[in-house]
Amino acid sequence: MKSLSLRNNLVGYTFISPFVIGFLIFTLIPAAASLYFSFTDYDLLSAPSWIGLENYTSMFTSDDRYMQSLKVTMLYVFLGVPLRLIFALFVAMILNTTSKAVGLYRTVYYLPSIIGGSVAVSIMWRNLFGDQGVINVMLNSIGIDSVRWFGDPNAALFMLVTLSVWQFGSSMLIFLAGLKNIPTELYEASGVDGAGFFTKFFRITLPMLTPIILFNLIMQLISAFMTFVPAYIISKGEGGPLDGTLLYSLYLFRQAFVFFDMGYASAMAWVMLIIVGVLTAAVFATSKLWVHYETEGGR
Amino acid sequence: MKKQAKKVVLALMASALMLATACGSNAGTNSGTGTNTGTNSGGGDKPITLRMSWWGSETRHEYTKKVIDLYKTKNPNVTIEVEYANYDDYWKKIAPQAAANELPDIMQIDTGYYAQYAGKDQLADLTPYFGKEIDVTNISENALNGGKLGDGVYGMNLGVNSLGFHYDPATLAKAGVDSIPENWSWDDYLSMAAKAKENGIYIDGGMRAEVFFGYYLRTVGKKLYNEAGNGLGYEDDQLFVDFFGKLADLVKSGAAPTPDTLAQIKGVEDDMTVKGTQVGVWQWSNQFVALQQAVNRPMKIASMLNPGAKEGLYLKPSMFFSISKNSKAKEEAAKFINFFVNDADANKLILGERGVPVSSVIKEELKPLLSPEQVQVFDYVAWSEENSSPMDPVDPIGAIEVFASLKSLTEQLNYGQISAEDAAKKFRSEAENVLKKNK
Repeated sequence: MKSLSLRNNLVGYTFISPFVIGFLIFTLIPAAASLYFSFTDYDLLSAPSWIGLENYTSMFTSDDRYMQSLKVTMLYVFLGVPLRLIFALFVAMILNTTSKAVGLYRTVYYLPSIIGGSVAVSIMWRNLFGDQGVINVMLNSIGIDSVRWFGDPNAALFMLVTLSVWQFGSSMLIFLAGLKNIPTELYEASGVDGAGFFTKFFRITLPMLTPIILFNLIMQLISAFMTFVPAYIISKGEGGPLDGTLLYSLYLFRQAFVFFDMGYASAMAWVMLIIVGVLTAAVFATSKLWVHYETEGGR
Repeated sequence: MKKQAKKVVLALMASALMLATACGSNAGTNSGTGTNTGTNSGGGDKPITLRMSWWGSETRHEYTKKVIDLYKTKNPNVTIEVEYANYDDYWKKIAPQAAANELPDIMQIDTGYYAQYAGKDQLADLTPYFGKEIDVTNISENALNGGKLGDGVYGMNLGVNSLGFHYDPATLAKAGVDSIPENWSWDDYLSMAAKAKENGIYIDGGMRAEVFFGYYLRTVGKKLYNEAGNGLGYEDDQLFVDFFGKLADLVKSGAAPTPDTLAQIKGVEDDMTVKGTQVGVWQWSNQFVALQQAVNRPMKIASMLNPGAKEGLYLKPSMFFSISKNSKAKEEAAKFINFFVNDADANKLILGERGVPVSSVIKEELKPLLSPEQVQVFDYVAWSEENSSPMDPVDPIGAIEVFASLKSLTEQLNYGQISAEDAAKKFRSEAENVLKKNK
């Protein structure tokens, strides 16, 4: 009897083992190791030595560049994420029409997100924003002086933000699905009552979409904090000019693999985890105030 | 078991972070299996596999692979697996390999990173191989000692470099200056820059802070780092102010390009020396040929600025070949390094691309084969040999972080966001903060 149940269970264990093993090797053990390293002085080449909280304290007391990277990242996230969501919703609404080519449009708009994080796009972006790049030519043609996108610290970050806004495709698709789910009767009924486009949008579309907005907001928030490749490529790995594009993950990477300060980098990673966790929790906490679920109405 | 787990963890942490690095290579599963064959001829018949890695440009990758092929025809039992990348990616690849004890048998090491690896017991001392596997009869003591750290030599000097001003005489004429005087001084330089500016031409694209500040300190008898490598080697911040103040003034006055202009340069096609809007570039001698080819006009090399040029100037190992401490085929690796440094046929492929060869015999052998530009480089390095002082000890651990700090501060200085006095103070505190870990 006993052996039979073992055999039965064994099949189950076998089936879940890829996940369990993968989770242990790729997530849990590395995470635990990085937590340990974050309390050590570890240069990758010699054994780590325990220094307690020193990495964490020096981050906030004696590292100007760390505070700069935090500032840049916050700017990037709080500027980029709302813009991206607004843009995604805007495009989703345009695509939520009945045109024959709509399938093609959706694919076209989604494409930047697939290739978006790639090195090639970042390089293309560099060329677009170069001194004689398309963007400056366009600015000149409407009478605005060229902007030194790579030379001016503020402009460089703005360029990264536009790159992130341009990659709105995945949130757009989710919005599109959300829009499809709004019952057309609502629009028809309100139309009968004389509601215009804006009333419909603010009274029906937005409230009905709030669960989707919540989802997109959190996903985008997390991914924005982890942005690395564009900043790495555009600033040639250094976060310049004047640390203007020194995103958190880029600085972490520099500490780990350029300065060989793996302990410090691990500590930075954990602080990032805490920041993202707190922000996500805050979004969830406020969501009670603005997210409406259809089922609640019937409660 | 524990070590194994650590390896896995590190490899994962590394791969998670190394999103941007790209190069076709296999993060080693094998290290050499060869054992001591006991002969110097490289004969042996046991199959041996070595891993070798370097950074560089496309040209370097191509000829290095040819050198390896040549070695293989002479030593059919040796297989060399290669891993190469550009400079930045190279170090990001090497660091996790070091952590996992999987460094290649032969690896190219830069002076800036040298202490990091040699000082942390990652590299093998080469002195036991000198005079045995590695023939040093034609190599000067001075050249060998370029890789000296403590009592050991952990890297074979692959070539010699010297600093200079590489300029285009045609552009210089356009700038309204006939020629650069032989022992030119800071005053000559500054007045030339002003004159060039009047004619709408930049004098140069700036001096790389860490290299030329080090040079400047030497001209006044100081060093960038102290003997022990745990602090700066100068006390008076006025030296920083003098040097960087002068350079920042050039930028401010428009005689040298501003950092936002420099940030636009993506490659050779935008290079201002190539376009003829800039007189020249301050750089290492092995970079001359590539620049000259891009410019495609006759170019010249001027020596460094006086006073104190002789004290300031030094011959620097361009880079090293090191053998990793955990290599299981150190003798075989040493034999290959010997081939690279002492074999005439190999060096006919290399043609001094890694710096002027350290072997006097090879230097002579190459002379008839060199292009006129390469001859200029060889001559300049030969001249430097007579007109320079011994090199400082190798950069201490943390040098890369100190460079980054210096680079960032000079950038702020050139953007006009910080005064030279404040930058000097800030550099001192940031550098000391990094270097004090070496105590």
